[in-house]
Amino acid sequence: MTTAIRTAPARRFDLSVFVRRYPFAFALVISVVLLALNLIVQPNFGPVQQLASYAPIAFAALALMPAILSGRGGIDLTVSPVMTLSGIVFIGYLNPAGLGTFVAVPILLVIGLVIGTVNGLLIVLLRLPPVVVTLAMMFVYTGINLKLAPSPLTISGSWVRSLAESIWVIPGALVGLAVPVIAWLLLARSAWGRTLYAVGGNDATAFSAGINVAFVRISAFALGSMIAMLGGLSVVALTSSAAASTSSAYVMLSIAAVSLGGISLAGGRGGVAGALFGAAAIFLVQRMLTVFNVPTIWLTLVYGLILIVAVILGAVLTTRRRERS
Amino acid sequence: MTAAVLEVSGLTKRFGATVALRDGRLALRAGEVHALVGENGSGKSTLVKILSGVHAPDSGTIRIAERQVAAFRSPRESLAAGIATVFQEVLAVENRTVLENLWLGQDGAFRSKVSRARKRERAAEVLAELMVQPPSLDALVEDLDLSDRQACAIARALLRDPRILILDEATSALDYETRTRLFAVVRRLSAEGVATVLITHRMDEIDEIGDTVTVLRSGETVGVVEDRAWTTASLVQLMTGAEQLIPAATREAAEAADPGAVVLEVSGLRLAPGKAPIDLQLRAGELVGLAGLEGHGQDAFIKALWGLVDAEGEVVRREADGAARPIRTPDDAYAAGIAYVPRERRAESMFEQLTILDNFALPTIGRDARGGFVSRRRSERRFAPFIEQLRIKLGHPSHPITTLSGGNAQKVVISRWLAASPRILLLNDPTRGIDINAKRDLYRLLAELARAGVAVVMLSTEVDEHVELMDRVLVFREHEQAAELSGAQLTRERLVAGFFGEAA
Repeated sequence: MTTAIRTAPARRFDLSVFVRRYPFAFALVISVVLLALNLIVQPNFGPVQQLASYAPIAFAALALMPAILSGRGGIDLTVSPVMTLSGIVFIGYLNPAGLGTFVAVPILLVIGLVIGTVNGLLIVLLRLPPVVVTLAMMFVYTGINLKLAPSPLTISGSWVRSLAESIWVIPGALVGLAVPVIAWLLLARSAWGRTLYAVGGNDATAFSAGINVAFVRISAFALGSMIAMLGGLSVVALTSSAAASTSSAYVMLSIAAVSLGGISLAGGRGGVAGALFGAAAIFLVQRMLTVFNVPTIWLTLVYGLILIVAVILGAVLTTRRRERS
Repeated sequence: MTAAVLEVSGLTKRFGATVALRDGRLALRAGEVHALVGENGSGKSTLVKILSGVHAPDSGTIRIAERQVAAFRSPRESLAAGIATVFQEVLAVENRTVLENLWLGQDGAFRSKVSRARKRERAAEVLAELMVQPPSLDALVEDLDLSDRQACAIARALLRDPRILILDEATSALDYETRTRLFAVVRRLSAEGVATVLITHRMDEIDEIGDTVTVLRSGETVGVVEDRAWTTASLVQLMTGAEQLIPAATREAAEAADPGAVVLEVSGLRLAPGKAPIDLQLRAGELVGLAGLEGHGQDAFIKALWGLVDAEGEVVRREADGAARPIRTPDDAYAAGIAYVPRERRAESMFEQLTILDNFALPTIGRDARGGFVSRRRSERRFAPFIEQLRIKLGHPSHPITTLSGGNAQKVVISRWLAASPRILLLNDPTRGIDINAKRDLYRLLAELARAGVAVVMLSTEVDEHVELMDRVLVFREHEQAAELSGAQLTRERLVAGFFGEAA
């Protein structure tokens, strides 16, 4: 009896295999090119400041990712208003109460857990479409933000500022982003992470294998909202303020970032690198246009074109793959 | 005699108006290979889905190891009870690795219960026993072929160390070598006391490893044959039963229709690469049945007649004036007077948001337009004769189509195509899930159409429809035409024997 394990035949470089393995490649290339251009045009490109400006969009993309990975049209439009809610709760309530980091952050995380769990329960137990549920909840949280902070709240002299400056020699934004990234990397390697990818990839198979599909989906939404609550602090760090008017600032940009980063909206494919590089590409496009004094009216047009190119490339490459197999 | 490890009785399950399982019984002993057989729609899959926790039964009892248990509410509960199922649909998470697929569902919420090294070791063992050339554990399942994917699904069940293994047509996707090895594994498990439920459409497989056979018909367990005391003929007899479905008057009317000129000619049609080509000459006034077990090519064949599938071969419409038109697309078919009634009523033929009248009129609505505006009254006037002829029971044509029963909705769909006055009518399993009276109305209609010179081709999963109504029946097996039966040869036994590839 032969038990030889089949080995992959030596193959020349295959772009479609490469893209499938590294779905964030396109976003990475764009990011590197734009970063290089930025550095050439503007040699005094301050990394600490730039990273602080990049952090909110990166948080938004990271927060959106688990819901999308869970499949069946999973998406979370509440990420942006929840980020704003986090800032308002922090500046308006937790900071004045004199609560330190180790009390304030857990409170914010618990709020995120509740928000995400409610989204997940509505979607999974009532079998409602995620886009409709989270759209409605987006309006609800935007309304709550307006009620809690009819005018922008500001803060001064908080530890949160250091997230936009330097902590020792490390840019504060990197420290902030490290929290969800490390948490995600640990989770993705745990049984939960593998199960999430399985549910997103094929929920019928996962169900028949005895996986608690409902729990996995709900927990994905909960995790996303918790990341969004942390993301709210990065906005506070950058602007020293929280304004209800920013509630929808990242709704569309976060979706654009994850799509650009190769995270499949069908679920089950993509990862943290995709969210980070997708967000970086979006952020750097914005920077470039500012540096070249291009009127902001062109901004969304460029986003749109980049996104459509990325989606077409991805579709063409994966379709070719499928036809061959 | 060993005690039953699993015993179910009086199991019933309805889906809406359809009764899928009326009285499901099964007694499974440790160490036996128990085959579950029956025609399409006899309730085998429903029974299996109840045992595996996918469906909850409406009533009935389940006993495991002599103790009564509550029906499983999810596959998780069924697996916990020691039942592992491999489903007919090849279930795999395509974008994950072989290793992850094999151990799917065995971890806790956050922690793995089995070490990675142990997982790799056990997975390699199971795959090596099942496959000649096991794939790499790190390969993505989407890169494997169908047989290897199914082997992974089987390996996933085996890794559960089940006490009861259910193989629901799990062998049909396997290549020969893997199937042989699977049977060797099943024999080893039997010796260890594991009971196996085998659902297969292949009589040779039952003969090869079956110990006991339970036969289902129309949702009921109608027979249990123990100790290999069966013959193909005796099982076929049990599977088909005998009860008359079609009234004699209808049959006489159908038989009275004289076949006319050839209206459609199929030549060299291959339903899959490497399969034998199929030829057919369809005559006016003829009723031709397409029979076979689910997924053996009859569906692709009827769609090819409508120009839908890109099959190798030619379909040509012969007009009355001798002109020949090739049928390559559904548009060609429509223009050539060929109407097609799809299989999935809800997904493919009903507009659920629209009224009964709109559902009838849509494809031919141009006829009701006056100066570009559609006249509802003209539509109603065109619809009225069909309500009468097909005995459609409806409140008012302006009510939503969803107010109708399945049978009446199907009649509306059929009248939609009859309104286009087709010369050839293709019906893809039109009587599925409709009640007996609606079925009889349809049979009468088909007989009348045949007498009026319309050629009818009908795919049906009901053996009785073929035997009692059709002039001739093409039996499909593994994407080839296994037999063509007509006249005295057209009997239940020969038809079912043809399904299973046995000459009766």
